[in-house]
Amino acid sequence: MTRTRFGALVAATMIVVAACGGSSATPGPSAASSAAPSSAASTAASTAPSTAPSTAASAAAGTPKDGGTLVAGLPGDMVLADPSLVSDSNSSEIETQVIQGLVGLKPGTNSQLIPVLATALPTVSADGLTYTFTLRQGVKFHDGTDFNADAVVYNYMRQLNAPKSLQNDYNYYFGAVFGFGADSNLASVTATDPSTVVFKLKTPQSNFLLATTLPQFGIQSPTALKAGDADNPDPSKSPYAQGQGGTGKSMVGTGPFMFKEWVPNDHVTLVKNPNYWDTANAAHLDAITFKPYADQTAELNALQAGDIDWAQTISPTDVKTVQSDASLQAIDRGQSCNEFHLSLNNADKPFDNLQIRQAIGYALNKQSYIDAFYAGMAKPADNFMPPATEYYKPLNLPTYDPAKAKSLIASSGVPASELNLTFYYPSDVSRPYMPDPKGLAEAIANDLQAVGFTITFKTEGWRTGYLSDSSVGKFPMDLLGWTCDWAGPDNFLVTDLFYFNGSKPNPQFNYGPADLKAAFDAGIAATSDAAAQQAWGTAQDILARDLPIIPILNSTPPAAAAAYVQGFVGSGNLEEQFNTTWLNK
Amino acid sequence: MAKYIVRRILSAIPVLFGLSIVLFSFIHLLPGDPAAALLGQHATPELTAKIRQQLGLDQPLYVQYLQYLTQLLHGDLGKSVINNRPVITDFATRFPGTVELTLAALLFAVGIGIPLGRFAARHTQGWQDGVVTVISLFGISIPIFVLGLTLQYVLSVQLHWLPTSGRLDPRTTIPSVTNFMLIDTLLAGRPDAFVDALRHLILPAIALGSIPLAIITRITRASVLDVNNEDYVRTARAKGLTERRVDDRHIMRNAWLPVVTVIGLQVGGLLAGAVITETVFSWNGVGRWVVEAIQDHDYFVVQSSILIFAFIFLAVNLIVDIGYAYLNPRIRYA
Amino acid sequence: MTATATPARRAAPARASRGLWRDALVRLTRNGPALLGMFFIVVFVLAAVLAPVISPYDPIAGSLANRLQAPGTAGHVLGTDLQGRDELTRILYGARISLQVGVISVLMGLAIGGTLGAIAGAFGGAVDNVIMRIVDVLLAIPGILLAIGIVAWLDRGLPQIMLAVGMTNAPIFARILRGSLLALRESDFVVAARSIGATPLRLLLRHMLPNALTSLIVAATLALATAIIDVAGLGFLGLGPPDPRTAEWGTMLTDSTKYLREAPYLIFFPGVAIVISAIGFNLLGDGLRESLDPRLRR
Repeated sequence: MTRTRFGALVAATMIVVAACGGSSATPGPSAASSAAPSSAASTAASTAPSTAPSTAASAAAGTPKDGGTLVAGLPGDMVLADPSLVSDSNSSEIETQVIQGLVGLKPGTNSQLIPVLATALPTVSADGLTYTFTLRQGVKFHDGTDFNADAVVYNYMRQLNAPKSLQNDYNYYFGAVFGFGADSNLASVTATDPSTVVFKLKTPQSNFLLATTLPQFGIQSPTALKAGDADNPDPSKSPYAQGQGGTGKSMVGTGPFMFKEWVPNDHVTLVKNPNYWDTANAAHLDAITFKPYADQTAELNALQAGDIDWAQTISPTDVKTVQSDASLQAIDRGQSCNEFHLSLNNADKPFDNLQIRQAIGYALNKQSYIDAFYAGMAKPADNFMPPATEYYKPLNLPTYDPAKAKSLIASSGVPASELNLTFYYPSDVSRPYMPDPKGLAEAIANDLQAVGFTITFKTEGWRTGYLSDSSVGKFPMDLLGWTCDWAGPDNFLVTDLFYFNGSKPNPQFNYGPADLKAAFDAGIAATSDAAAQQAWGTAQDILARDLPIIPILNSTPPAAAAAYVQGFVGSGNLEEQFNTTWLNK
Repeated sequence: MAKYIVRRILSAIPVLFGLSIVLFSFIHLLPGDPAAALLGQHATPELTAKIRQQLGLDQPLYVQYLQYLTQLLHGDLGKSVINNRPVITDFATRFPGTVELTLAALLFAVGIGIPLGRFAARHTQGWQDGVVTVISLFGISIPIFVLGLTLQYVLSVQLHWLPTSGRLDPRTTIPSVTNFMLIDTLLAGRPDAFVDALRHLILPAIALGSIPLAIITRITRASVLDVNNEDYVRTARAKGLTERRVDDRHIMRNAWLPVVTVIGLQVGGLLAGAVITETVFSWNGVGRWVVEAIQDHDYFVVQSSILIFAFIFLAVNLIVDIGYAYLNPRIRYA
Repeated sequence: MTATATPARRAAPARASRGLWRDALVRLTRNGPALLGMFFIVVFVLAAVLAPVISPYDPIAGSLANRLQAPGTAGHVLGTDLQGRDELTRILYGARISLQVGVISVLMGLAIGGTLGAIAGAFGGAVDNVIMRIVDVLLAIPGILLAIGIVAWLDRGLPQIMLAVGMTNAPIFARILRGSLLALRESDFVVAARSIGATPLRLLLRHMLPNALTSLIVAATLALATAIIDVAGLGFLGLGPPDPRTAEWGTMLTDSTKYLREAPYLIFFPGVAIVISAIGFNLLGDGLRESLDPRLRR
């Protein structure tokens, strides 16, 4: 029993820490208030799918053919078969094929809302506190039971009142977006009739809709959840969360694909839902098998050898190889929805000195990293969030100028003894925003040495300490980044980087002046688009003024597939739907 | 004989016991507080204290060790702290993969090594011996991962002759009964999948088998040469028997004992080699599992799996020794 | 790990040590493969020692603008690596690391294993029993797992890697030395020395150790080959030196697998360096065994 409990906590650490593959800040129950409003939804034009320069599968002509199995390579295994309990990108990618929410993101976009299980986007009261959804009728879960307003209420209530152990360790996104129980910003969810659900909030929260597009807020069959003991405080004892029993017993949603089986560390198989409610968008594929791979090289090897049909991410430097192979195609994902930065702990010397931080900014030749490690598939960052984010503005951050870096170091008055920097990099991972952390760390160190710093390298395993140690501020300087959940400034500036826990800034950077907190608070309190624009603009100006960390670049991580894979629509958050995908063979 | 076997089994007990102490101390000497390390960013002092208490980490070390030992003796190997599954469950699903791979590698090494060694011994004066010597020299000098990556890149990625990794084509689903792919595919009545599983086995088996191949080749050659100089072989030749007959009837019969011994000795090396081979070929076996567990600081998996590895190693040694004693009675009384 | 699994034959030298060594040397110089092995080793050692003299380039600092120049480019015989550093320079400096790690790890193994084996073999009895059970425990853990465990436990770094690889060899050395010593205890000249009143320590140091050393030298030479392979293997598993700039062959090779398609030569050259130096020590080890093992005298 004690062991189980221990395991649960650890598993949760791993999950949370792996959330969205970035420096997952855990804002805790108070996060609801720091999740800032963003009217991204209303400005979908800025994130419309780009016309991809390279081969985009979606561009393929021809009438889709039905049938076949797609074998898809992912960078890791599913964690649990219940999306409400996971926050890692692999589980989300698989579960979003099966479980749907009331609203979703338009395929290919990061912030354009479309109704899914609702017939339309909800009506919102003038005070921004009441959201009323009208639900689709005649939709059935994969176990044959009816989707209706009671099911929606059940799903939200089970997370709102989740057992304490699940709150602490599993229901990360629900906690981050709403908070739990009496502390939640969610006042009530009620079914006024079988096809109408009313959400009441305590304070306005305009990221509400964007957040609920995540698979973590998907609607699952209450019958199956109950039968599979999905709310067991220890998910290892829940047949539902463990993926036991197959279709209709675990991971039971309404989507175009249905869960079939999960063999841990080996594969997850989904099969076509023959009775999908949205017949026009029913799946073409008979089945998808997701396979975990240790690294991008293994994934590409498998793709080239024909073992898999689709690879979620390949190293950008391999795109050339893929393009030169007629049997393969590289898939561009359009606009970047990530950021990669050099973290500096502002409580440590010499990073408490603004001129030193600026000197580091001037020392880094960002473009050379992009050419060497991203094959050009990235842009130097001029902000703490990617350009496609709502309220983004260029900040004129330092660009490569080693002479200026040297003179800043000289005028900083920092003694030479403090110019020896301890630099952490993750040893065993590649992420969409950093395909080769080791190579990048070496190149960055080289640039820093060139202007007068000396570097001592330290490393830790990604899962075995790097993320957790970094997030509590144990590292003076390290490499990290973030793939967005949705393209709002709150998701980058607050959740990812500079959230406050009460009045205490994120311990990772120990940076958080009062005016930044005021700007965030103003963004949160804003009820109009103009007010939000101004608040987020101020926040960005403050960050540019203080340069607490060094943003490096925003990348567009490529996917790759066999040439016969057609109809796939990529998006920057890397959580794509496969219902439009078909095999031309 | 029975007495000898009992004595050998008894002598393995202190080794396993000592190993349990070594592993236990190893785990507890890992730097940092396991509870805090495992909690990561959730680590508040209260929570850490609670976890320490739940784990029994607040108990004196000897108490913790006795608890651990008691569990072991009850067959409880603990649970993974990463995925919360019982160690024995994961071990049971993954171990057949390693056995399959190891046996295939051994089969490759023996199947090629013995004929190659005999061939070299028959041609000590010719260039053939030189070629075989060079092959076996390369066999022990190439790291498994270099050979594995090369085979994988050339034969799978470039030439598409064989699959790159895994144990079965992901498009094929076979019910897991024994977790031995070659058996499960046949049980499922899928000869095509059996062939596919066999094809997946080839490259890893060659990479893993390269070192035993080299060693078996050398030993076979040396021991055939030793026997070659014995009087009875010369007599046989003098009688005018054909070289083939001399080889089969007289030489190999007497030369195989050291060869068999060496084959037995390879098992430890194969288990160690499986660790790297399984990493290269994404092979779902215990080797990769243990490496991941060590890197993840998955305490109970590390403790228990290494103990199981050692147990297997000792068991195989025991079987080899007993077999050897059975064949060569002088050993027993030595 | 397994290259030393060839059972090292117990030397049972019956002659005084000086004659043995002289004979052995003569035989060694007539052994073609051993000479080839020595040649590889000499090249390897020279590369290690003279790296800064041979190469005008910095093995650590590079320039991304200069990266991935193909082999044969003017000034870069073996091309440049991912950071724009001269690959030949990195291979030469890599020989330094490999030699250093190989030799020190084997010496550590000899120190630990040799001491245990000497005590066990010299005293026998209960001491022997206890020590050999410890050795059994160590031998029961597959070598690479032991090494991974030590590096995971003591954190990453060259000294830790040396200790890890040394520890995998220690029990093997202990066994070999103990075996030789036990055989020698009953040999005529030791019995004779004991009968004229030699102290146990003198007996061990003056009479038994020098004679038992032969098989240990063979094992140590072969262990150098495995040490180089094991260090590379740790690098492959991501447990190489923490400074990614370190020119360690296994790490160089592993880091380049990401760029296999762009620059296959970055895998080829370190791979060849590892294999050739391992071959060198394997050939020399075999040659030494043949030269030192009196049973092979004809």
